[in-house]
Amino acid sequence: MTWFVVAKKDFRDAVQSRALWALVAVFVVVSMGSAYAYISVPELFGEPGGATFAGLLFFTVGLTGLFVPLAAIVVCYKSLAGERELGSIKLLLSLPTTRLNVFAGKVVGRATVLAFGLGIGLLVGLGFGSVLIGDVQLLVVLLFLLVTMGFAAVYASIVVGLSAMTGSTSRATTYALGFFVVFELLWDVVPMGLLYVVEGFTLPSELPDWMFLATQVAPSAAYFSSIVAVLPEAAESVGAAASTPEAAVETTQTAAYVTPEVGFVFLGLWLVVPFALGYARFNAADL
Amino acid sequence: MAAIEISNLTKQFGDVVAVDDLNLRVESGEIFGFLGPNGAGKSTTIDIILDFIRPTEGTVSVLGYDAQTEGQAVRQRTGVLPDAYHVYDRLTGRQHVEFILEMKNADEDAMGLLDRVGIVEAADRKAGGYSKGMRQRLVLAMALVGDPDLLVLDEPSTGLDPNGAREMRDIIREENDRGTTVFFSSHVMEQVEAVCDRVAIIDRGQLVAVDTIDGLRDATQTGETLYVYVTDFGDDVTARVAKLDGVGDVVQEDGRLRVTVDGVSKFAVLHSIDEIVAVQDFSVVESSLEDLFVKYTNDEQEVRA
Repeated sequence: MTWFVVAKKDFRDAVQSRALWALVAVFVVVSMGSAYAYISVPELFGEPGGATFAGLLFFTVGLTGLFVPLAAIVVCYKSLAGERELGSIKLLLSLPTTRLNVFAGKVVGRATVLAFGLGIGLLVGLGFGSVLIGDVQLLVVLLFLLVTMGFAAVYASIVVGLSAMTGSTSRATTYALGFFVVFELLWDVVPMGLLYVVEGFTLPSELPDWMFLATQVAPSAAYFSSIVAVLPEAAESVGAAASTPEAAVETTQTAAYVTPEVGFVFLGLWLVVPFALGYARFNAADL
Repeated sequence: MAAIEISNLTKQFGDVVAVDDLNLRVESGEIFGFLGPNGAGKSTTIDIILDFIRPTEGTVSVLGYDAQTEGQAVRQRTGVLPDAYHVYDRLTGRQHVEFILEMKNADEDAMGLLDRVGIVEAADRKAGGYSKGMRQRLVLAMALVGDPDLLVLDEPSTGLDPNGAREMRDIIREENDRGTTVFFSSHVMEQVEAVCDRVAIIDRGQLVAVDTIDGLRDATQTGETLYVYVTDFGDDVTARVAKLDGVGDVVQEDGRLRVTVDGVSKFAVLHSIDEIVAVQDFSVVESSLEDLFVKYTNDEQEVRA
């Protein structure tokens, strides 16, 4: 149970990070500003029928999909590499614990910090929006928060796992930013490029089913699909599914795996795989 | 039972052999000094004892547990002051100690421990604002949590002023009186000389000596040095003095004879010298551990060169 003590200590420490709170402040400002814009001129955001709460929610999903990766990088990139570089890891590991407990404690502690900052940001942002609209759907909000917190935990596992790969914070920064660039910024292009190569350097008129799976590798895409999966009605009402890659392959005979629930599978993989790899590297390292 | 038992320990970092087939036994209840110049392999050895790094070959057992496979049990009974550590800047001193108490499942009073190391008035300040000496005291308080059977202190006097270093020695003795084995590394000879029962000297990853300080003095011919002022330095004076019983080296320097004496009465030697040549004056210097240390580590280098 020492992981819990480590997590508690880590939370106390990391929650005081100024960079985190600066990011939360930016998130709040952006989400309030965009909520205001959305409600004032919904036509601009593809909602000629006027602003709805579901519309606001999916608007927010787009923001959290960007905020969570960035906040996770800020909160987690130093979690293990920083302690190794400074030497505080020696204080930690000279205690009656194991590296698994330290690693797990770090993931849990940082995920909690992330969830805490995110929770406050969302509460203020969504609260402001729903006051403007004059509508709030508590069950929807609850499901949305649940999935979003899960997404935050996934990202904590990814970035702590990357941080465990090295004893240098600058290298940890490179890994974390590299991950973000490849899997979040460039990932729209990667499956396309893959398809282009597979099809003999031409693009087919119809996209094959596996393209959907390839797009879901990006954690934020998997997060979006998971939200669609838990809130199908809200998603349909705002046509959110249209922006998922699922729609892109709708014209073909779709395979059974082309469903938004696949998002959960990929989120699950992103939780487990970085954890396992990061721990294996951390456990074998000379500190 | 041995508190620490190191057998055939080797650690390589790439091409560099940091520790080379080291064997060492630290008995329960003693204060053991671990000496060596920078880069000799002291910290590497301690890091292996605490399982921060893994040995290339050999085994280490601590308090009867295997350091690699039963590290958690080792660390439950061990207090550690690591080398090159860093405190958590954003947590207070009290939060640090409370964290250790919780990790070790101990129920001592955090403030009492901070009081013992003399920083109780800074307990609720963030450790990031502590001076180097205060951090050292804080980490010592953390090492004392749970009344450990073994204290491992890596360069404990770093950052402490002479007063702090003395207080550190007092705490080491107090803990030892309560039955705690103390293993500490240092390159500050006075520290080691003042408190240690036994000393090991390590150089380039190899053990060059293990003994009590008196034993080390006996083993090397640097036991004691007599400076003898004589009236006349005839050619044969140096040679004749060197032949005397119990005399090691004899060197003429600065108008006097430097005579190392070992195992016999200094008075007898002086008396014999006086029979060879009239003694005007003399002085006695007991060699410090520093001399021993320099002698050991330099000799070793000469042998290898």
